[in-house]
Amino acid sequence: MSVKAFELVPTVERELLMGDKPRIAIECVECCGQHLYVGTNDCFIHHFLLEERTSNKGHPTFSAQKLLQRYLGLKKPVAELKAASALERLVVLCDGVIVVVDMVTLEVVPTGGVKIKGAAAFCVNENPVNDDPFGVEIGVILARKRAVHIYMVYEDRVALVKEVATPEPPCALGLDGCFLCLALSSQYVILNYGTGSSQDLFPYNSEERKPIVKRIGREEFLLAAPGGLGMFASAEGISQRAPVKWSESVIGAAVCFPYVLALDEGFVTVHSMLDQQLKQTLSFRDGLILQDFEGKVVLSSSKEVYVLVPLPLERQIQDLLAGRRVEEALTLTEGARRNIPKDKFQILRKRILQQAGFIQFGQLQFLEAKEHFRKGQLDVRELISLYPLLLPASSSFTRCHPPLHEFADLNHLAQGDQEKVARCKRFLISYLNEVRSTEGTNGFLEDVDTALLKLYAEADHDSLLDLLASDNACLLADSAPWLEKYHKYFALGLLYHYNGQDAAALQLWVKVVNGDLQDPTRSDLFEYVVDFLSFCSNMDLVWKYSDWALQRDQRIGVQIFTKRPVDGELRGQINPENVVTYLQKHCEALLIYLEHLVLDRRIQKEKFHTHLAVLYTDRVLALLSQPSAAEETVSRPRCQLQRLLKESSLYRVQLVLGKMESSGQLLLERAILHGRLEEHEKALNILVHQLKDFPAAEEYCTWASASEDPTYRRRLFHLLLGTYLDPDVPGGGNTVAAVDLLNQHAAMFDPVKVLHLLPEGWSLQLIRPFLSGAVRGSAHAMRTSQVALGLACSENLQLQHDRMRYRGGPVFVSEKKGCHLCHNTFSEPDCVCLPGGVAVHTHCATQRLRNSPTKRWTDNGNSHT
Amino acid sequence: MRKPDVKVVILGDMNVGKTSLLHRYTERRFKDTISTVGGAFFLKQWGPYNISIWDTAGREQFHGLGSMYCRGASAVILTYDVTNWQSLSELEQRFLSLTDTAHPDCIYAIVGNKADLTDACAHLVEMDDGHMSEDIQDTPHHPASTTSTSSVLLHKQVDRMDALALYWRILRYKGLEENASPAAERMCFETSAKTGYNVDFLFETLFEMVLPSILKKRNEGDASTVDLEHSTETKRTKAGCCR
Ligand SMILES: Nc1nc2c(ncn2[C@@H]2O[C@H](COP(=O)(O)OP(=O)(O)OP(=O)(O)O)[C@@H](O)[C@H]2O)c(=O)[nH]1
Ligand SMILES: [Mg+2]
Repeated sequence: MSVKAFELVPTVERELLMGDKPRIAIECVECCGQHLYVGTNDCFIHHFLLEERTSNKGHPTFSAQKLLQRYLGLKKPVAELKAASALERLVVLCDGVIVVVDMVTLEVVPTGGVKIKGAAAFCVNENPVNDDPFGVEIGVILARKRAVHIYMVYEDRVALVKEVATPEPPCALGLDGCFLCLALSSQYVILNYGTGSSQDLFPYNSEERKPIVKRIGREEFLLAAPGGLGMFASAEGISQRAPVKWSESVIGAAVCFPYVLALDEGFVTVHSMLDQQLKQTLSFRDGLILQDFEGKVVLSSSKEVYVLVPLPLERQIQDLLAGRRVEEALTLTEGARRNIPKDKFQILRKRILQQAGFIQFGQLQFLEAKEHFRKGQLDVRELISLYPLLLPASSSFTRCHPPLHEFADLNHLAQGDQEKVARCKRFLISYLNEVRSTEGTNGFLEDVDTALLKLYAEADHDSLLDLLASDNACLLADSAPWLEKYHKYFALGLLYHYNGQDAAALQLWVKVVNGDLQDPTRSDLFEYVVDFLSFCSNMDLVWKYSDWALQRDQRIGVQIFTKRPVDGELRGQINPENVVTYLQKHCEALLIYLEHLVLDRRIQKEKFHTHLAVLYTDRVLALLSQPSAAEETVSRPRCQLQRLLKESSLYRVQLVLGKMESSGQLLLERAILHGRLEEHEKALNILVHQLKDFPAAEEYCTWASASEDPTYRRRLFHLLLGTYLDPDVPGGGNTVAAVDLLNQHAAMFDPVKVLHLLPEGWSLQLIRPFLSGAVRGSAHAMRTSQVALGLACSENLQLQHDRMRYRGGPVFVSEKKGCHLCHNTFSEPDCVCLPGGVAVHTHCATQRLRNSPTKRWTDNGNSHT
Repeated sequence: MRKPDVKVVILGDMNVGKTSLLHRYTERRFKDTISTVGGAFFLKQWGPYNISIWDTAGREQFHGLGSMYCRGASAVILTYDVTNWQSLSELEQRFLSLTDTAHPDCIYAIVGNKADLTDACAHLVEMDDGHMSEDIQDTPHHPASTTSTSSVLLHKQVDRMDALALYWRILRYKGLEENASPAAERMCFETSAKTGYNVDFLFETLFEMVLPSILKKRNEGDASTVDLEHSTETKRTKAGCCR
């Protein structure tokens, strides 16, 4: 548990002080810079000069040189000695009298007539409110008097400033500002001698036990409390720190930040004010005095004087760290904030935090370690450098000196425990990731990213690809061998690509696809490469690898061209003609590419359309020529061909037709082509007489007239009917088909013409649906027109009526009046008056008339009711 | 050192479990304690605020230090042991007067600890995930208890009603109006430092309630440094009844 906070250094040895007079005993000491004053029981003051040295082992030593000793002439012990160094005076209490002596000569100096007698104790105010540079304020307790006297001591006189009454006779005192902290016989109090207010602290029986009042800083005192406690009390009477636990027999206390020291019969104990814990115990017999003087703690027995030299704070902290007492070290560091210049403190704090982090890291307490690394703003490379080979060879990093930790590297730390190594690596991954995302890399992004890449590669971590696919600073030269070592060729390719070396990337990937290198990262690497090429702007590379890709798989390979973004920048655009020429030797790819141009991109170029039509035709013909080809394998390509023939209007019809006619096959397609040439008779002949495919024939009529007006369509249907009924055809007309056509598409036919066309012998029953439809249609048309006529007449009548009524009567139109149809106001006097005298815009009236039912009926004469 | 915004003080006879309560709250566990010497304190970071919680010593020897700990306190937790009637009456006899130095706006909570010894429901421990679970290693640690089965409960010496009555007497002692002070039902708690029952609830409730004091103190901010001397003077004035 212990820290070595102080070292006990003998300072004034027995012989030096008393020589051959064994009865002499030390009563009090004062230390002021290098000057040590000792008051003895024989009424002498001894003056020593201290010289602090450091032994060759690094231990502090003191050598004391006796300068002077002087007898005060009172035959009584020198009870107390306090320096007023600004005045070069010593205030001395001896035999109840306070005398002032010169610090150098030790001669008593006159006090200007004021004699202080019957004093029991006194203290110097180290934080006076009056701030008089030529005087020192002291508080004096008089024996058995219920008062404290405040004096000012000057170079040549002493003046009483104030007499402060106390409820009981005080027996110990401390002074700070205008606060008097007093041990009365039954309790401690704080008095404000400026305002006279008082504050009880707590009960204490001063007769039973020696009270201690020790000023420890601005408006804060340390008091001996019941039960051997050291209580802290502020001037407001509040305890701001938890008490420290002393022994019951404590006789003296001193403060040396951040420690409180206490002396009892056998020991000096050292407690930290920061956590109230006991930090060090020094055994010391017959101790008499323990006092601090400006950071120096003096301990004395009746015969000898020692100095308790605080070890440098950094050393203490390092000791704590060496004992892995991270929390304590950090508390001590934080506690030193006030005692060290700000910038120096920041440096110290950072370093301690970093060291603490490494200790916790070594204990695999990663959460805590991370927190301390973060707070200590650790250069991440310190951590990375623990892991062998992670830092790039080019990194300029060297570990900080003195080292932040005791580990040579990770293997040293883990002592061969692979599980530990793995955990540390996982930690580093998460840590680096966090560092990256919080910009905490202090500009060492390359080192961080390269290290992360290596860790990912080694751990076969999925995020390797994410790292490479996003913005990163991985160093290629350093990463490449590492990735190769772990067979991460795909990743390496990404890195090449990221560094603008697409050629290298492709070369590598092609090798993997070809099986020359093994990397299972992507099973679809070939597709990836094709995709990559389709976006690649370096055309040389595209041409270089497209042959390879097409040879491997035309369907996928051609995506290099078909997936290429069209509306991208001009760089990397390819002229389709060149591609078509290039693909000549890869016919499957060529077909797909042409389909892409014609069907997907809808490029309106005769050349491509004709080329595609010819290829389609060739393909179907080739399939048909194989006797073994199944119906299904042919049907799809045929459908595609037909669709193209029907939908495109750009290809050269004669050329395709010629090709088909020479083959003597593909009648349906030929019909379509005839249709394209508007040779409907030929087309229908093929469909009806050669193919006998009546649905196709009817469909043909609809298709061929799709973009024409209704009369054109009717013409085609009549033509079809004629074809069905053609008597010149061997085997007679297709009566049934004709009847069905009539009955199903009655609206397409002019009944009168049809009746002329039909053979005499047909029964009425046969075409009854057609006829009744026709009759109903004409009846419907008649009735609707009669209704329309009627309506128009009545509207006309109404208008006439209104006109009669309003003739002479004014119709008001103004800017404020709205049109009843569009609700906008009138801007001109012109208006139309609707029945009822309603004024509307002329254009609104026209509009309404256009949409009126009468008008509509005449347009849609075909619709039945 | 961070400066606390407000102070909360735990008072009560020795052995009632003050230290254990604070441990349970700050370290989330129940562990062996030794009788507190003098006092100890803990700085709790509660949101943006620092709250100092003082654990005092219940032993008679340190009784005199109590008023100093209570000086300026914004909340006082008066703790007793539900299995020990004496511990409740000590609160009134011995500890109440220590709170004279507390802040005039100070609030008082009365806490009956060791509820696990008398109430089966106090065995339910709130786990970190918010579920309740039965306390497992559950052997009543009480001098009077000779059995070690959790089913045997001790006699509850202090009823909730007794605590409520004490609270009302405290208000009367302080000269506070009942309807101007927090209701007794809100300020009397039964807890178990051992199982954690009601412990978080106790502290969090009090923190919520002292929040106005914190804000007030923060607002006074700079002014308070000037006013130090005045505040020492006004310390002793007791709150009037129609405050
Ligand atoms: N069963 C049970 N025992 C408890 C509980 N709280 C505390 N104890 C026990 O009671 C004893 C005293 O607990 P402490 O927390 O030290 O009591 P304290 O009030 O701090 O005592 P002092 O410091 O002397 O004033 C210990 O043995 C605890 O284990 C509780 O909730 N239930
Ligand atoms: Mg305790």
